[in-house]
Amino acid sequence: MGNSITILFVTLLIPIVSAGIAFSIQKKYSWLSPIIGAILTLSAAIIVLFPLFSDTQLITQYSIPWLSIGDTTVSIGILSTPVTRLMAAVVLFVSAMVHIFSIGYMANDKNTDRYFGFLGLFTFAMLGLVYSTNLLITFCFWELIGFCSYRLIAHLQEKPAAARAATKAFLLTKTGDIGFLIGVLILWTQNGTLELSTITATGIWSTVAGVCILLGVVGKSAQFPLFNWLPDAMQGPTPVSALIHAATLVAAGIFILVQLVPVFTPTTLWIMTGIGIVSALMGAIGAWLATDIKKILAYSTISQLGFMVLALGLGEVTGAFTHLLHHALFKAGLFLAAGSIIHAMHQATFQAEINVQDIRNLGGLRKQMPFTFIGFAICAAALAGIPGTSGYLSKEMILTAVHQKNIWWIEFAVWVIVFTTPLYIFRLFWFAFLKPVIRTFSVQEAPWIMRLPVLLIAAGSITFLFQNGHPASFATQILHTAFEVPPSIIIISAVVTGISLLTAWLSRNLSARTSDYIIQRFLDYVNLQIARLVAFIAELTTLFDKKWIDRSIHAVAYSKITLAHISGWADRNVVDGSVQGVLWITRGLGNATRSVVNGKIQSYLLWAMAGLLIFILWMFY
Amino acid sequence: MPYLSLLIFIPIVTALVALLIPGRYTRVFSWLTLGVNMLQAIIFVIMGFTANGGLQLLEKHSWISVSLSNWGHLQADYLVAVDGLSYPLVGLSVVIMLIATFSSWSISKSRKGYFILLLVLNGAIIGSFCALDFLLFYVFFEFMLLPMFFLIGIWGGPKREYASIKFFLYTLLGSILILIVMIGLYLSVQSPESSDKLVHTFNVLHMQNPENFIPGSWFDAASSGSWRLWAFILLFIGFAIKLPAVPFHTWLPDAHVEAPTAISVILAALLLKIGGYGILRFVYPIFPDGAIYFSDWVAGVGVVSILYGALNALASKDLKRLIAYSSVSHMGFVLLGIASATTEGIAGAVYQMVSHGIISAMLFLIAGVLYDRTQDRMIENYSGLASQMKHYTAFVLIAFFASLGLPGFAGFIGEVLIFFGAFQSHTYNNLIPLWMPVVATVGLLLGAAYFLWTIQRMFFGPFSIKANHAELNDLTAREYAMLLPLAILALLFGILPQILLNYINPFAETFTGMWFSLGINQNP
Repeated sequence: MGNSITILFVTLLIPIVSAGIAFSIQKKYSWLSPIIGAILTLSAAIIVLFPLFSDTQLITQYSIPWLSIGDTTVSIGILSTPVTRLMAAVVLFVSAMVHIFSIGYMANDKNTDRYFGFLGLFTFAMLGLVYSTNLLITFCFWELIGFCSYRLIAHLQEKPAAARAATKAFLLTKTGDIGFLIGVLILWTQNGTLELSTITATGIWSTVAGVCILLGVVGKSAQFPLFNWLPDAMQGPTPVSALIHAATLVAAGIFILVQLVPVFTPTTLWIMTGIGIVSALMGAIGAWLATDIKKILAYSTISQLGFMVLALGLGEVTGAFTHLLHHALFKAGLFLAAGSIIHAMHQATFQAEINVQDIRNLGGLRKQMPFTFIGFAICAAALAGIPGTSGYLSKEMILTAVHQKNIWWIEFAVWVIVFTTPLYIFRLFWFAFLKPVIRTFSVQEAPWIMRLPVLLIAAGSITFLFQNGHPASFATQILHTAFEVPPSIIIISAVVTGISLLTAWLSRNLSARTSDYIIQRFLDYVNLQIARLVAFIAELTTLFDKKWIDRSIHAVAYSKITLAHISGWADRNVVDGSVQGVLWITRGLGNATRSVVNGKIQSYLLWAMAGLLIFILWMFY
Repeated sequence: MPYLSLLIFIPIVTALVALLIPGRYTRVFSWLTLGVNMLQAIIFVIMGFTANGGLQLLEKHSWISVSLSNWGHLQADYLVAVDGLSYPLVGLSVVIMLIATFSSWSISKSRKGYFILLLVLNGAIIGSFCALDFLLFYVFFEFMLLPMFFLIGIWGGPKREYASIKFFLYTLLGSILILIVMIGLYLSVQSPESSDKLVHTFNVLHMQNPENFIPGSWFDAASSGSWRLWAFILLFIGFAIKLPAVPFHTWLPDAHVEAPTAISVILAALLLKIGGYGILRFVYPIFPDGAIYFSDWVAGVGVVSILYGALNALASKDLKRLIAYSSVSHMGFVLLGIASATTEGIAGAVYQMVSHGIISAMLFLIAGVLYDRTQDRMIENYSGLASQMKHYTAFVLIAFFASLGLPGFAGFIGEVLIFFGAFQSHTYNNLIPLWMPVVATVGLLLGAAYFLWTIQRMFFGPFSIKANHAELNDLTAREYAMLLPLAILALLFGILPQILLNYINPFAETFTGMWFSLGINQNP
């Protein structure tokens, strides 16, 4: 077990220890659990940096058998590669920031023990998925992530909307998970093993397996047509949204694709590209139409993940992975900043009956919340792909890859995505920070415990590192990605972003009118109809159970009683008339059967015994 | 030491002794039962020191030995032993009976009769799992039904008489079918132990060897016009009723709804396992040709049970009925695993039985906790329980998610192994078409749907209940003592599956190896 593996193992243990403390701590000390959780996660985020920087290119793994049966062995272990180490670092960093932020955000919550417990478990599950060496273990953590997000989305469990959203999120992602499981099983029957390092696939089955796994990713990473749970999942506390949207739940799907793309066949990759384009565009439109600050960011996540899926479909693994990491940081920053705003607005408008998450009720926060403003601005710039930010770098990488493929409609679609992204995020930025205030509230800037994580994450989204004279982000630095962006791409992308921002500025006041999103409503409607159909079938089966199966059983029982009546009657009237000696015996029998009228058992016993007797006699003669 | 005989007869002898104690000493009976359970647990732990997956702790005594002139010699033995199939189930029985005693602690109606019947049931269940002589098994099997009939019929809910008679009729029908095949088998099998004269035997191990069949007899595989396929059907239905598989399942919801909590727990956790156990011990090994012939039917019944049970659970308005139908769905997986006849599938089926034993016990205890407080099981009458009963809700979440197959709990291991087997069967022995396990995965989704919907309706949202004079206290110490060990077991077997698989694997390998040794075409 190498040094790198040991450290990664420790980072895996720390969140579960944090969760254990939070779950088991006594009520009177429960104020301690947020602080312990934050300190533990932060320390994990720091120690994970050692293997990241010391063994930059090392690829190693350590595993022990977990389940072995017949010829099958499933091993559990830790995979240490630059990709897993980077992912783990980002997961832990974002998780630590979310923990720290939550100390302030959840200060008035009564169930912090549960909240921080599941936060720890969530982090643990995500790290387990990242480190996993075996696809079945990956699936285990994949499911565990779903469970943790379910519980966290339903944190405010007394709100029916939160409970509904959690159920919806779990069921829709579970639909995808079924696909994932089938894909895993098919890969297993083809390979006889599920070790990530040895999986290969050929022929039609690998396409089927690939499409099935893709379905899992579509569910988890909220892609078309299973994305409509994500906007609803905003019912969870805002820091949870930050964690779900940035580095954990939805990122898990992309991360799996990053690991499995080599296994996929061209057909699967084409489907991926298609899903990516559709999701990216639908997400962007949804973000532009929404008025709820968290929903805008949720749709933005769908769009950005679609962008990554599209890149993966084109085989641009490095670009997509880099964008995943960058997105994890800036989206976490955006959500935490949004959390600060909601928190501050809640306190400012304590008496007033207004929806503080509606961007039309915000405005002028630039002066009132300057730190949040700076953090939000940097992260928004990274999302929009403004030069100087991390988002710009990974966007250019993907654009280059798309350009090299030289397929006009994909290239066109990607330019549309690049155009729409600044459009919707500027709209949000305008409404929240720049727009003149209509109603004045004395909004207080968030406390330092909440300001700090936002600013740290924002700092992570700036490219201040250089590599071979090129600007480089944290991720590209570690991955040693040498990429050459053609000047034409740089120019066109700058022009498109510029036009987009100009359009956003010109349409800034126009964009407050629309709020309803037809695609979301359509998907919700389809889900509802499917749910109704299943409920209807369920009612039918219940009816069938009662009317047919049970009734036929009753019919058999009654027919036996009737038979007993007849035989009793025959005993009394027919057989009675015969020989004296026989009469005495049949009297007894008749009495016995007559008593059957009240209880079914005896009649049944008698019937059974008679049948048996006949059977035995028949066998012998 | 005759450990198995001790396990079987300590409760039965204690029951006989308890008959002599006057019924007015009501406390004595529960303590006596608890003592027996503890003793059994100690014996089981001692057994565990030397246990492995092979056939072991064999005890053999001649029981009935009658010469029947020209019909040959009737030979029935007291033959008990455990192997990788029965050992985990015996362990499960010991744990569940202990918890059932705890759960029965506050029974008020004629405690003497109740606990005596519980003890008889205890011995009969463990006896059924250990017996390797068909006649002995049958005796224990029948001995199980009567206590169960009275326990539901006397200590049950309002419709207890209907439920208990229905339970009795169904299982009696199963018994008759088993009896018919047993007699046929008895007449067809001769003991290889005595070569000079014809000795008919009930020994199951002899029945599993086709060489022991008398040429030209009813169930001789070699002779044409054999009745073996019919025997397979009868025996299979006999145990499928117990499992229960659709369409022989309608006794289960009624019996569960009316039975007191402890009896529901035993019924779900142990009695259903006799069905799966019987198929693995008797039906498949004795009639492997039938098993191959009907493999897609067996798998089909399994898949239908999975989906049909899940759909019915989805439509259930009564919490206990929902859990009962979820049992039907989960036991369908057992059939699917058995039908695959692969090492993974068979091991998965056994694993699923153990995990379902643990998890369904938890589920019924949970339903019982609520019923004890409000006398109301209707899902629609509750809302927002999570805010009132925090610890209870935590256990509900554990049990529900364990049951819907969340990794980390035992249920997942069983299901995933079954799916391994069922998917592999397509390329490995071609017994199950690939679409069947694919369709069965929908059952996982439905399982998530009914449990999550129940949580959403009963536990989340604003608090309200319809029941009058309800005092909703959180879990008592006794309820904790019942639920916590089960939760720990479900987690333990989910995180470290190899502890259990070390016992199950040798059985599964012997079981599948048997097909090769029979020369039955394994890979067409």
